Amino acid sequence: MSEKNYRLVRTLLLIFLGLWTVLTLFPIYFKAITAFKSPAETNSTIPSFWPKEWHPENFVSVFAESSNFQSLVDSFVIASGNTLLSLFLGTLAGYAFARFPKQAGGENLAFWILSNRMFPPVAVLIPMFFLFDATPWGTDSRISLIILYLVFNMPLATWLMMVFFRDAPRELEEAAYLDGWTPLQAFMRITLPLVLPGMISVSMLCWIFAWNEYLFANLFVGTDVKTYTIVIPTFTHGSQTLWNLQMAFSLMAMLPPVALFILLRRYMVRGLSLGVVKG
Amino acid sequence: MARLELQGLCKGWDFPVIDRMDLTVEEGEFFVIVGPSGIGKTTLLRLVAGLEAPDAGKVLVDGRDITALPPYRRRVAMTFESYALYPHKTVAENIASPLRARKTDAATIAKRVQSVAELLRIDHLLDRKPGEVSGGQKQRTALGRTLVADPEIFLLDEPISHLDAKIRHELRQQFHTLEDLRKVATLYVTHDYAEALSLGDRIGVMGSGGLVDVGTARDLFERPANLFVAEHLGQPTINVIPARLESHADVLHLRANQGDLLLPVDPARAHLLAARNDGAVTIGLRPQFVRPADEMPAGSAQVTANVDLYEALGSTGILIADILGLRITALTSPERIFEHDTQVQLAVDTAALHYFDPRTGANLTLQTPGAGAATAMASSVASGISSRAEA
Amino acid sequence: MAQVNLQNVNKIYRSGRTEVHAVQDLNLEINNGEFVALLGPSGCGKTSTLRMIVGLEEISSGDINFNGKRVNELEPQHRNVAMAFETYALYPNFTIEENLAFPLEVRGVPEDERRRKARDIAEILKLTSILDQRPGALSGGQQQRVSLGRALIRDPSVFILDEVMSHIDAHLKFQMLFDLKAIHRDLGKTMVYVTHDQVEALALADRVAVMSNAKLQQVGTRNELYNAPANVFVADFIGEPPTNFFQAEVSDNGGGLALKTKDGALVFHLTEHRAGKIRALGGRDFIVGIRPQNLRLKDSEGKSSAHTGSDVHDITASILINEYLGERSILTFANGDTKFRALVPPETRAAPGEAVTLGYRPEDVMVFDAQTEALID
Repeated sequence: MSEKNYRLVRTLLLIFLGLWTVLTLFPIYFKAITAFKSPAETNSTIPSFWPKEWHPENFVSVFAESSNFQSLVDSFVIASGNTLLSLFLGTLAGYAFARFPKQAGGENLAFWILSNRMFPPVAVLIPMFFLFDATPWGTDSRISLIILYLVFNMPLATWLMMVFFRDAPRELEEAAYLDGWTPLQAFMRITLPLVLPGMISVSMLCWIFAWNEYLFANLFVGTDVKTYTIVIPTFTHGSQTLWNLQMAFSLMAMLPPVALFILLRRYMVRGLSLGVVKG
Repeated sequence: MARLELQGLCKGWDFPVIDRMDLTVEEGEFFVIVGPSGIGKTTLLRLVAGLEAPDAGKVLVDGRDITALPPYRRRVAMTFESYALYPHKTVAENIASPLRARKTDAATIAKRVQSVAELLRIDHLLDRKPGEVSGGQKQRTALGRTLVADPEIFLLDEPISHLDAKIRHELRQQFHTLEDLRKVATLYVTHDYAEALSLGDRIGVMGSGGLVDVGTARDLFERPANLFVAEHLGQPTINVIPARLESHADVLHLRANQGDLLLPVDPARAHLLAARNDGAVTIGLRPQFVRPADEMPAGSAQVTANVDLYEALGSTGILIADILGLRITALTSPERIFEHDTQVQLAVDTAALHYFDPRTGANLTLQTPGAGAATAMASSVASGISSRAEA
Repeated sequence: MAQVNLQNVNKIYRSGRTEVHAVQDLNLEINNGEFVALLGPSGCGKTSTLRMIVGLEEISSGDINFNGKRVNELEPQHRNVAMAFETYALYPNFTIEENLAFPLEVRGVPEDERRRKARDIAEILKLTSILDQRPGALSGGQQQRVSLGRALIRDPSVFILDEVMSHIDAHLKFQMLFDLKAIHRDLGKTMVYVTHDQVEALALADRVAVMSNAKLQQVGTRNELYNAPANVFVADFIGEPPTNFFQAEVSDNGGGLALKTKDGALVFHLTEHRAGKIRALGGRDFIVGIRPQNLRLKDSEGKSSAHTGSDVHDITASILINEYLGERSILTFANGDTKFRALVPPETRAAPGEAVTLGYRPEDVMVFDAQTEALID
């Protein structure tokens, strides 16, 4: 390709990518401005793309109901608890599948575990409800969701961690054995640091799933425990939806994952691209 | 510091890779294993290190059976072909790893790392990560990590094969002079015969299943047990010529190439070959012993050949000549020029010819005590090794 | 066939504000039917040069001419240059014959002619017996030959080989090198061989172009590069074992001008011609280079069997290492802090610690300016 053609193609590509960016960012923009509008303005037939008057007090009114803030805390505890558990179990299982494929039941078992993520969640909604209802802590508790979400997150964590561990050269562990480290020490000091970017990506994926989950939360909890996802639909006034409050609340619910992502972006990209190439 | 012994070691997967191997490497001995790639040299090191379990046989250090010990309980240090440096740790931390594993105190670690790094001339790189240093420096780091461990046995897997020629020379020099390395039993694996000849106190040539010949560099190069050894050592490869032994005027001669090449058999070997009179042999002629006649002492056996290809390399020229259809590689002085399709007078040092059994490949002229040596040799390569050891 | 001419060729890569001058003022003439090797360490600019010849890379300034005709603007497919790569890139599901004929099939050559040409090329490359096999069944050397054949089949005017031997096992390499040399002799095509391996370059090429740091350092035959390297880089890069270098200064002690190493351990005598030049340059610092094969061991009677002529000087040194390598031995000497090597016959039995006498001829002593590192000839 000559340099001239190259420049032309590059320009066209930039224009296309620019349009695409606008298209993807628009819903977020619209959500952000809606959060500042008055209820009347949100309901007008002709949408406005810039608030006529600003109502920052929307962000305060969403917490008029004290349980609304509590729901963010509950969501955070559930997501974090589930993530830690998924990561712990997934790392151990993934290591076993990567290093001892024969002893651990082989590729088939690993794939079967992953396949648990493939059935439609709604298919097990009702059975799961009765199952958890029979436990001492019932359905309406943090622990029930922490454990329930393992069904979705642990297979993913196991599979991805297996891929990351396969990527970490076995020879490094062997070199560590010859240095005199026991297998556990070699795992902790040599192998784990190597898959750290992978672990961070896996944590992010698990955490975001658990943070945003609605279907099961809506059925399981609501009285003692609330997640923020089931709070969002409650911003109504009679038959009228209070879009501005919904948007203000969900905007705030977006902040933790976005902050996490920005903080861990470097690892996340490395980890994800690794997984994509190898998986 | 200790002696390493392998007794009847076996390891295989779908087919046997190492088949009943016996080997003793003495304390302070630098033993090099050379062989083609994929023959099982690395597997052997992994068995000694404890990274693989043998199917049968024992690994002993100073008579102690360590076959069942896990690698971290053996005092064996190994470098890997890939170097296997910890990428997230600095050069200093990599070198310190074996000391940390043994809970050595920080002051001692710092001192030992510094002294090893100075010895290997990487002390200015201690704070870098492995990704930030060159191949030769990576190899030195890996070497440092094994040296600092003060092991009973050293295992080195192709440590310099992937480096460029100049650094290879430098590191070879270092292997010769590192006292830490020279005072323990070392097993060094390579596919490069020059490295093996240069470094090995003794050398084992590995063929399929195990060692086919063991000896000093001169033993192997000048008195190879069989054709495989002769072909594997040497660059350019030894000339292999099918021939017959015949008596002419009561002197044993070899006749090759439908009679066009007739050379007298060196009298010192003739009596060993007498039994094969009128029989077929395979002649091995190293390129360095067939040269243009003017580069050889007067009186050597001469043949006229046709120049096919000639190339002057660094320290030698390589001449591919054609003796009525027989292709011979000869060495020359590098300054010369030979044109394609011209005639050249070549001289052969007949004392340097090797005679192999055409069927088994065994060397027919190894000096062995007792009679009937040649047949004994032909029957078993292994016995050839042991009988040479006696001699 | 073609004669290739590069005139003041430059390649500058720009990315943002940074510029990398990958090839600088390169002048090189490759004669019709000549085999030229482009040799240099990685990053020296040899690959950029080759890509400009092929047409995969735009020329920043300067001209490339084929047979006197400027080809700067020609697209690669119009230059009639064939290229073989480091990886063989054979199609695994095609037979060898189909692999060979593929470039013709793409061009719409009729099947009869394709078959005939594939068989012709297979004849030259000694592939006739395996035409029906698939690449998977072939050895590395055979695959490499098929890959060469596929590049040759469309009868290119210039044939370029890019590091084609890097993956070949060392003991197969010699055979391959001679095969390739014979192929060049039989075809008589203009060939450019790019490599970082001096043995390959010297073995194959009529002339070797040594590159370093984006610049052409020297073009010459083996003997020119060995005996009159343009500078320290060439002297160091070409030669195995590597050339011995010593920091030296002038020592004029009545018996004629000589160069003394900085540690005072060795003195090198020079030819009168060179001594005169150095005298004219005055008391600056020099680098002395002498190749290991030009330091010859003297026997007990003090004769250096391999050196002819009367003017042989001596140095004495004590052996650090004696490496027996079968065809030859390398002696490494330690003289104070300086270490140097000599190539000796394999029969040499001298042991470490022993002091020996080495002879050298003054004409084999290479002298470089310590500042510019250029040869003083």
